[in-house]
Amino acid sequence: METSPSKVVVRDVGVTFPGHGRTVVALDGISLDVAPGEFLCVVGPSGSGKSTLLRVVAGLVRPDRGQVRIAADRPGTPATAMVFQEHALLPWRTVLDNVTFGLENRGVGRAEREARAREMLAMVGLTRFARLYPHQLSGGMKQRVGIARALANDPEVLLMDEPLASLDAQTRTIMQEELLRIWATLGKTVVYVTHSLEEALLLGDRIVLLTARPGRVSQVFPVELGRPRGLEVRGSPAYGVLLEKIWSELREEVLRAMDEDRGGAGPRAAST
Amino acid sequence: MPRWLTDHGIAVVSPVLLVAGWEWASATGVLREALFPRPTTVARHLGQLVTDGTLERHTATTLVRIAWAFAVSAVLGVATGLAMGSWRRLREALDPVFAVVYPIPSVLFLPLVSFLVPAGEVAVVITTAVTSFFLVALTTMHGVRQIDPLVVEAATHYGARGWRLFTAVLLPGALPSVFTGLRLGLGYALIVVIAVEIVAAGRGLGAFLWLSWQVLKVEDMYAAFLVVAVLGAALSYGLAALRARLLPWVQDVAER
Repeated sequence: METSPSKVVVRDVGVTFPGHGRTVVALDGISLDVAPGEFLCVVGPSGSGKSTLLRVVAGLVRPDRGQVRIAADRPGTPATAMVFQEHALLPWRTVLDNVTFGLENRGVGRAEREARAREMLAMVGLTRFARLYPHQLSGGMKQRVGIARALANDPEVLLMDEPLASLDAQTRTIMQEELLRIWATLGKTVVYVTHSLEEALLLGDRIVLLTARPGRVSQVFPVELGRPRGLEVRGSPAYGVLLEKIWSELREEVLRAMDEDRGGAGPRAAST
Repeated sequence: MPRWLTDHGIAVVSPVLLVAGWEWASATGVLREALFPRPTTVARHLGQLVTDGTLERHTATTLVRIAWAFAVSAVLGVATGLAMGSWRRLREALDPVFAVVYPIPSVLFLPLVSFLVPAGEVAVVITTAVTSFFLVALTTMHGVRQIDPLVVEAATHYGARGWRLFTAVLLPGALPSVFTGLRLGLGYALIVVIAVEIVAAGRGLGAFLWLSWQVLKVEDMYAAFLVVAVLGAALSYGLAALRARLLPWVQDVAER
């Protein structure tokens, strides 16, 4: 294997899940490289294994073949920290104690972990809510806690699994701007799974398009829209061109996924 | 009118109406006063029983039995439930046993228990504890099982493994159900201890109630009824209040 300066190297990763009487191939030979400090977005139709790919990188799912390497040069910090789609906070812990959780598990002392947690809470704008419990927060605030929890661990790579999918449109827009600001501040390497092309274009340096099941890399699109990027990018001609280009590819995969769900050859197969 | 009264007034009005109706029915002969004495008569009689110490003696006896039975069933039940919830093998091994033993009415364990330990306080306590134990264990087990797998995955991802996963995730995650189980278990302990006292004890509220009925001292009987009812309500509300105090993170059903 070549020596590369990549932060994350994914090589020929395959994952199968036992299904109802048959095995489901979730990922089939995925290879990816993520550069240090890059914001990489992964899009694809439902069931293309986007979340599975992220879980493999996080070490939560063991691949059947292939390998994942993450360049870690700082001892004592975890390789990855994940922001989960449904926030997945511990309901019995306060906001502060949720953010310190990872540090606590690694044996970081109370004073230090609380200082770091407060720093991250300040970054996501939740300083005043440190003593509340998750059920007392709105969806957007919970997801901010999820982001602070991941960042407090100072991971090599930040993994985000459709973190804004369950939020309403306005909250999502605000959170997208916040993410851009945080990323610009911390310079983290990010792998970001989303089903929204618009979101991927706003956030990402590159967009990886996965195929319908089994998940393979269909194409990789560089997003050359400049930085710093804000919502106004959506009005630029280059944005429209790129959106159209990626969407025409994604559309094919989505239609293929829909056919698959209907058990193969449906009327859709004839019409496409 | 204060807001509390408009919201919960009906909860006050209905029992008051019930007692008033009973008073009226007994006074006018709709109910035979010899069998259904007026609530005011029962209240006066209750005062006497309290003053002469009779009620206190029986209540204390019953409460001590409940306390022991509850303590035993809570400790063993929570431990068993947590183990069954966390360890699939154990759950599969014990499930059929629970399925068969759990529905047996607890009083029926009394003869069995009396073969194992000498009849007396210990036998009463063990018999009372049996049903509570199953309730607490089963509810606790389900408490562990219903924890959101995504929360467990996230906790694992953030480094909670083994014992740490148990104490930081599985145990707190199961606690709301544990409290539900304890509340049910305590309620059943009261039911069962009264039943056991009726068949096998000379003292305690159950024995007192039963004796009062047999010799038709109906005022005594109703006084004992009242104490048992108040005891049940007090124990149940006490545990609910404790839960609200100890688990501030549990959201009310209304908030969901």
